[in-house]
This record gives sequence, structure tokens and C-alpha cells, in this order.
Amino acid sequence: MSKIKDRLINLGEFVLQPDDDMIICRCEEVTKGEVRKAVHDGMFTLTEIRRYTRTGMGLCQGQTCGRLIKGIVARELGVAPIELEAAVVRSPMRPIEMKVLGNEGKEAR
Amino acid sequence: MKRYDLIIIGAGPAGLSAGIEAAKRGLEVIVFDENAKPGGQLFKQIHKFFGSKEHKAKIRGFKIGEELLKEANDCGVRVELNAIVIGLYLDKEVTVKIGDEIKHYKGDAVIVATGATENMVPFDGWTLPGVIGAGAAQTMMNLHSIKPGKRVLMLGSGNVGLVVSFQLMQAGCEVVALVDAAPKVGGYGVHASKVSRCGVPFYLSHTIIKAEGEECVTGVTIGEVDTSWKIVPGTEKHFNIDTICLAVGLSPMSQLLSMTGCKMKDTPGGYVPECDETGATSVPGIYGAGDVSGIEEASSAMIEGRISGIAAAEYLGFITKVELNEKIEELEEALQSLREGMFAPENRGKVLEKTDEGIDVSSNLLEMGYVDELEIGRFPGIRRVSGVHPAIECTQNIPCNPCEDACPRKCIKIGDKITSLPVINPDRDCSGCGMCVASCPGQAIFLVNEEYEPGFAAITMPYEFLPLPVPGDQGRALDRSGKEVCMAEIIEIKSLAAFDHTHLLTMKVPGDMVMKARFFRNMEGAQ
Amino acid sequence: MEHCADVVIIGGGIIGNSTAYYLAKKGCSVIVLEKSEDIGNGGSSRNGGGVRQSGRDKRELPLAMYGAKKLWPTLSEELDMDVEYYQEGNLRLGKTEGHIKILEGLTKNATSLGLDVTMINHDEAKAINPYLSAEVMGASWCPTDGHANPLLATLAYYRKARKLGVRFVTSEEVVEIRKIKGKARQVITTENTYEGETVIIAAGYASRKIAATIGVDIPMNPALLEVLVTEAQPPMFYQMLGTAAADFYGHQSTHGSFVFGGTSGFEEVNKDNGTPVTNSLTASCICRGIMKYFPCLEDAKIVRTWAGWIDVCVDHVPVISHVEEVPGLILACAFSGHGFGIAPTVGTLLAHMAVGEKTILDVSDFRYDRFKAKI
Repeated sequence: MSKIKDRLINLGEFVLQPDDDMIICRCEEVTKGEVRKAVHDGMFTLTEIRRYTRTGMGLCQGQTCGRLIKGIVARELGVAPIELEAAVVRSPMRPIEMKVLGNEGKEAR
Repeated sequence: MKRYDLIIIGAGPAGLSAGIEAAKRGLEVIVFDENAKPGGQLFKQIHKFFGSKEHKAKIRGFKIGEELLKEANDCGVRVELNAIVIGLYLDKEVTVKIGDEIKHYKGDAVIVATGATENMVPFDGWTLPGVIGAGAAQTMMNLHSIKPGKRVLMLGSGNVGLVVSFQLMQAGCEVVALVDAAPKVGGYGVHASKVSRCGVPFYLSHTIIKAEGEECVTGVTIGEVDTSWKIVPGTEKHFNIDTICLAVGLSPMSQLLSMTGCKMKDTPGGYVPECDETGATSVPGIYGAGDVSGIEEASSAMIEGRISGIAAAEYLGFITKVELNEKIEELEEALQSLREGMFAPENRGKVLEKTDEGIDVSSNLLEMGYVDELEIGRFPGIRRVSGVHPAIECTQNIPCNPCEDACPRKCIKIGDKITSLPVINPDRDCSGCGMCVASCPGQAIFLVNEEYEPGFAAITMPYEFLPLPVPGDQGRALDRSGKEVCMAEIIEIKSLAAFDHTHLLTMKVPGDMVMKARFFRNMEGAQ
Repeated sequence: MEHCADVVIIGGGIIGNSTAYYLAKKGCSVIVLEKSEDIGNGGSSRNGGGVRQSGRDKRELPLAMYGAKKLWPTLSEELDMDVEYYQEGNLRLGKTEGHIKILEGLTKNATSLGLDVTMINHDEAKAINPYLSAEVMGASWCPTDGHANPLLATLAYYRKARKLGVRFVTSEEVVEIRKIKGKARQVITTENTYEGETVIIAAGYASRKIAATIGVDIPMNPALLEVLVTEAQPPMFYQMLGTAAADFYGHQSTHGSFVFGGTSGFEEVNKDNGTPVTNSLTASCICRGIMKYFPCLEDAKIVRTWAGWIDVCVDHVPVISHVEEVPGLILACAFSGHGFGIAPTVGTLLAHMAVGEKTILDVSDFRYDRFKAKI
């Protein structure tokens, strides 16, 4: 459960860091700085960060960046990474063409 | 829609093992795997496994995979390949992409054995082509016979980093450095030693500062880190390379389990389902086995798979609870024996200064990747005697004992506790057959004859590189740190079927080098 | 932490967030209480992003038209954040005579209320959107309809409101509203008690249980719907899409991905495990619906599907209402699956209602006590 319930909590000034332009979410090309700024904009959960910045919305659905984003957000909030609730996982487990997903064969109909 | 007794997702070591145990007890089992070939990570593992006979020690990973597959086929387990399970829904229904169609199946029980994925660590330049996971490099080399690159820097000194570094060299790549931000080597000392004596320098307490290149990696700069992870100025080192391999840990691919709504927990090792000791999750009939429920290795995955398969059989009434408990007890013991020793889960993060036997551990091994000459004599596998005898450079308590069984003359003793350091039996005579050398999964056993010829010693080592030298070849002997220390001549190359592709190379070196020389480099320098 | 404010809003979705923002602009102190860990975790982040006037119940039409004209076009500027609003029109497609009849009916209703929607034939539709299947017979066309990014719009309101001093509290579940001396004032959660001069319930289907604690009911049922999203495609078209048969609805986003919602027919009976979960049938059904009208998308890869509850009012339009028998209480829920498009308007109206100002639009059609038995 997130300890950061009160969204008016003071996180301090947003200070630029030298590695802010490093890409963290490779699929959607979201940088570390964008993620940190999002936290200061009020996005305190991994789900909010995802909806706000698109991290984890690409082809790999966060498999590559998930852990890294968690660390960055946790550091910005001053909490342990384990306190951040993971974002919800959904089907399909792998990207799948519309014509395949829509092709249920004889049994389903 | 077809309903199976048991649906298993993932045909790796855990999945196949689960299928075998369930099928043996009469369940109708189907295993779905998204890959073209079954066996999961097993088929990439070309090295010999540790553990004891019941854990299939000294057998190469891919051979274990082949055995497992055959057993699964013989038991009637149906394995559907190129089948991607895209969802696991309420009522234990799965949707599977097979060809260009979606098929629906239901299971009375479902075992998720989907394994893990590689972690990444970002640094300046990490998105350049040439930065790959160590597991990916393994797949390229060992499954597709593709060299990942020519000159490689390995980041990560856990078992994956160490094992893959060695395999990169076997594939003909040059490993210019092995780097880890931690102050100590994370994986088995014997894996590190194998790599060190080939001449790969270890840089502990170092991290990657920047990977350079325009279109791809052409170089990398590393630097030492202090206790607050800041780069110490002036410690920068540069290497010209084309590949950076990241071996920085694995995370369970637990998405299908999380999707079912079973209770999950976030751990330092990743996001895993809350399971009991049979792998049962909080959703009745759904189990997690293998790396997906917590990262260990293939040996543990196989036992966990077997346990879950048997648990599913009991859940569905194919066996009694009594039978379940008996079998589980036996398997839990086997699993527990793998989880002991210096690298046991409970010892993670601890600084162990002495072995179980009370011997000071080699600090050099942990900090530099090789046992220092001054330290090696402490260990019970090292004895200076006349005639040919084994020199067992196994200095950490790990669950492993193939050397004990290998010796036809019972020269080596480990005992019931398989984490014990191997001890040379002084009452026995070594015949110099070399079976111990070939059987050691850590390639940590040598045969030494200090009186081969006046002024010369003979050293027999495990050798798994091509091209093989031939008797008469002149070269250099390298010490444990990979430094060239003297001239060496090949006396014998022995390749027996029983050695399973671990060739035994015997070289002649000056007598005073007998405790130093541990690797051979041919004169042309080609390795 | 301050527990008292001029207005306490229950529900951190786009309705609650927009209301909070407009109230903060008026200088009111506001506290927003959200049950889940995330702002905008309900329908606000799960819907298909439609901002349409066409196809609405005539009671909702003035709200939708006001939004399309006065609020949506400048919303990104107002909130200092791009909410990806497109006003490129809405094509509601038909493939059969039966579909065309339905569309003609909807169009007639709408034009009689002043909306600029017309019927067009296949060629005209194809001229607007060249990617249509050859089988499309015709469509209704409303050029001032459009779509936006619901995730960003919801969070944009939150971000700006927070900047203006609105106190948002997440993981805070309201269990009771209590009257103090005849007026609704106290909002009791599992952990705390808050007080406000005005209490607004904007909590989707959960509003029903909360309102019950103060003796008010909203006749609505939950339904579980699904949406899917593709990987990015090259820019193709930016009209909002729908069909007469209600097979699917959706649009191409700024990112390039297509977002499509749709129904399997089982929405009212889809089961869940306490959270909105997808089932094994719906996404495939939506795909088949889409491909009938846009065969060119058959190779587009779906990267994710999700589900969400809508709160379906018995007469399919929301409750936006003072509750005179509970002074101080305002209800804003039962949006029945079409709350997103009118959210800026509703937020504006609720802000006026909360401070006792006259609303710019008449909301008497949305009264909480409008429901009568049939005889």
C-alpha cells in the first residue's frame, strides 16, 4: 500500500540532473528526466506514471523498463521501491495481429 | 472447448518436469511453449551442471534437456510448440495463439512455468546496437551459432556473467573485461577462476560510465565507484569493443499469474506469486514452478516442477494426500540440498569469512576472480605428494560432488554433506586417469606430476576450446590470474567419450611452476 | 493534514478532478478522496476517448454541444498540458439497410435539436476516410465531434487542480456520509473523517453504496466493458468512429496507436474477481467488428486489452443533481458510459452548483428524483 496518500506532500524542488536525457523506456523513448518531472507533477504511482508518460505502454509492455522506472520513481518520492504497487498486467502476453486475435476458429462460435 | 486435466505453460525444465510427474500419475497433460524448440533455457546451457547425481550433476544442460524431452514424450505428455498463451482467465481458461488462430482451452489445474527475463541497467549509450543481455548472447551463440561480437565487455559477475564470459571465449570472442559494481564476485569461484586464467581481467567495484559509438558500440569507459556509487575521479579505463553484455540479474515473467488475480508479492528478486511449498498460488488449481516463482537455476526448477506436477495430481484426486506428502518430502530434501552452502538464499548479502571446515575463504577469489598462489595451499584438495595426483582447486562450499563418484580409486572424498570441500584421500593411489578432471563442472581439478622429468612438471587441465592443440605444440603457460609465466609444451591430449567433450590437455612446464601454471596458450596466441 | 474544506469530492476521476479544478479557480478549498491508489482509476482512464455530441440522448446534447464549442478546443491551453483533443468529426458507419435506418433516426433527432449532423453515402464517407471497407453503405457525419486522450485529460485536470492547492488523497475509501444538524457535512473514510460545506459524490458505480449511507439511491447497474489498443500505425485518420450496430468505437491517437472499444453482448453479465478483468471472448469479438469496416487494420498488432465498469443508469443519462432532502449533497454519477465527452461541462456545472451560482445550462433533466414507476 502506497504511503504517499497525501498528494500535496512536499517533494522539494525539481532539480535537473545530468542524466535526465537518458532513455529509460526504450519502446516509447521516455527519458529519466520526464519520469522524474512526472512525479513532481503529482504522478506518485507506477500506473499514473504509465498513463501520464507512456512508460510501459510499448511493445514489451514494461518488461524492460518496469524495474528501472520503479527505482527512479521510488527515489524521487523518497520511498523504498518495494512500496510502489506494480501496474496491472493484461492480455495479450505478446503483441498479436488483429486478424489472428479475431480468428477463433470453429469452436468459439 | 477442450478441457485438460492439466495445462502447463512453458516447456522449460520446470514445465516438462511437471508434465512428466503428472502424466506418470494418469493426468491428461498439455504443455504450451511459445518457442520453436522446447527445453527453455536448458538448450543454451552447454556447461556441465553442479549438484549431485540425482540433480544430474556433470551432465551438460542441453543433454539434460534432451533427456527430459524424451521422458516427457515417453510419458505421453503433449507439447505444443509455437503456441503463445496470450491470456489466463477466470475459470482457468487459456487463450493460445497457434498459427494464425486463437484457440481456447480449459484446465482443471494450470501450472505456470514461464521462467524469467533479463534485467537491464541503463547507462550513457545503453541504447546503442551492441548492448545486449548475456542470456541473449547465449541464445545467439548456443542456439543459432552466431558470434554476438568480436570484442566483448561483460557487466555482472554472477553465475550468468561468468558462465557466458567463458562461453563467449569458447565461441571465439575476446572478452576484454568483466565488470561488476559490487566489491565481490557474485557467482561461484570456480566459474570465475575458469575465466580469469584465460586472461580476462576482473574489475570489481567498477561500473560503466559510458558506451561510445555512433551507429553501434565502438568503445566503453568504466570507472571505479565509491561506497556511495559515485565514480572516483581518475579511475576511468577505456576499452575498444563492439559488444557489451549485461548480466545484471533476472526477473520472473509472472504476468500470466498476476493476470489471474492470484496474490502477488514484490520481492528484491522480482514480482512473484505467493505460493506454498508445492507452488500452489492463492487461486485454487493454479501453480507457479521454476524461475517464475523465484529465480534459482535449472536444477531447482526441475525439482519444483516435479513437486507442482505431483501436487496437481493430488488436487485432482489422482493420488492420495499420503502419497503426495511422501513424495514431496523426498523432493523437498533434494531441493534443500541445492539451497545450501556459501550461495544459499539465507547467506545472500552475508560476508562469509570461513568455509564450513573453518578455512579462511580466498579473499582474492572474491575480489579479483582467482585464488592467489599464497591462498591455494589452505584447501584440502591441494596436497604436495610424489607421482601424479589431483590438485582440487575447489575452495567454496557449494552443493556439488561428481568428483567423488568419478574417481574409480576413491581418491576423492566429500561425504553425505555435498557442500563439503573435496578432500584427497591419503590412503589411495591416483592412476592419473583424469576422470575427476573431466567430471568437475567447475573445471577446478588438475592432475599434477611434480616429477615428470628432471626439472619439469606435468600439469593436466580440462580444456574446452577449439582448435585443440596437438602434442608437441609450444606455447605459454598462464597462471590463475591469466598472466603468462613460463614456456610450456603439450605432451598429451586425451579425448575420451566418457569425458563428454572436456578434453584433457597435459603440458610440461619448468618444475618451479607446478603450483602456478594452470592454463595453456598456443604460441600464435590464438584462443 | 487539513481535513476540512469548502467542498469535499468523493472520486478522483475526471468528473471529480475537473470539478475540483473549476472550484479551485473560483478560490474554493477542495479535498478530493480517491478509494484506489491511482487518480483516475475508474472509467476515466479506461474509456475510448470519444468526445461526441452525435448519438446522445437529447437531454445530454446541450452539455455535449457546450463542451465541443466552448471547452474542449481550448482545454489543453487552459490546463497547460496537451490532452490530444481532435475535432475532426465523427463517422457512424452502416453496412446494411437496417443500419442506415438507425442512423437516419439518430440524425433526425439530433438535427431537430440544432446539431450539425448529416447522412452521407459511401462515396462521401470514403472521401472523408479513404480506409473504409467497400462494404460500408453510408454513415452519419458530425464534423464538430471528436476525441481526446482520456488518460491525459483526467491527469491534466488533476495536475492543475493540485497546483492550485486542491488536496488529493488516494487510498482513502469513503464508508459513510453523515449529516450534522440536518446538513451533509462529514465524510468518513476507513482511516479519517473529513468535513465540507458541500459534499459531491462522483465515484462511478461506487456512488450508489456511498449515497445509501445517507439514505439516497441512484438506480444504476454496473456493466463490464473492454477496450483494446494497437501498436503505433502511420497516421491514417483522426475522425472518431462508431457503427450503427455498436460493434466498436474508437480512434487513432496522437501516438499512432488505435484505441477501440466494443461489446460482446455479455457486458451486463461479465464476471470479475473484484477488479475489472478481461474475459477470453470480448477482444476477439471487437477485432472482428473492426475488420468488417477497416480491413486495412487486420495486420495491426494489438498490444493490450483492458476492462472497465460503467455505471448504467436505468434511463441511460446521468444524475447531476442537488439533493434537497440532504442539504449540502450533490450527486454526479451514472454517466452510463458516456461521461468523458461531457466531463469538462459537468465539472463547470458542478462548480457552479457547489457555490450556489446559477448553472450555465439547465440540469433539471438530470435530477436525482426523476425516476418514477411505470404506472
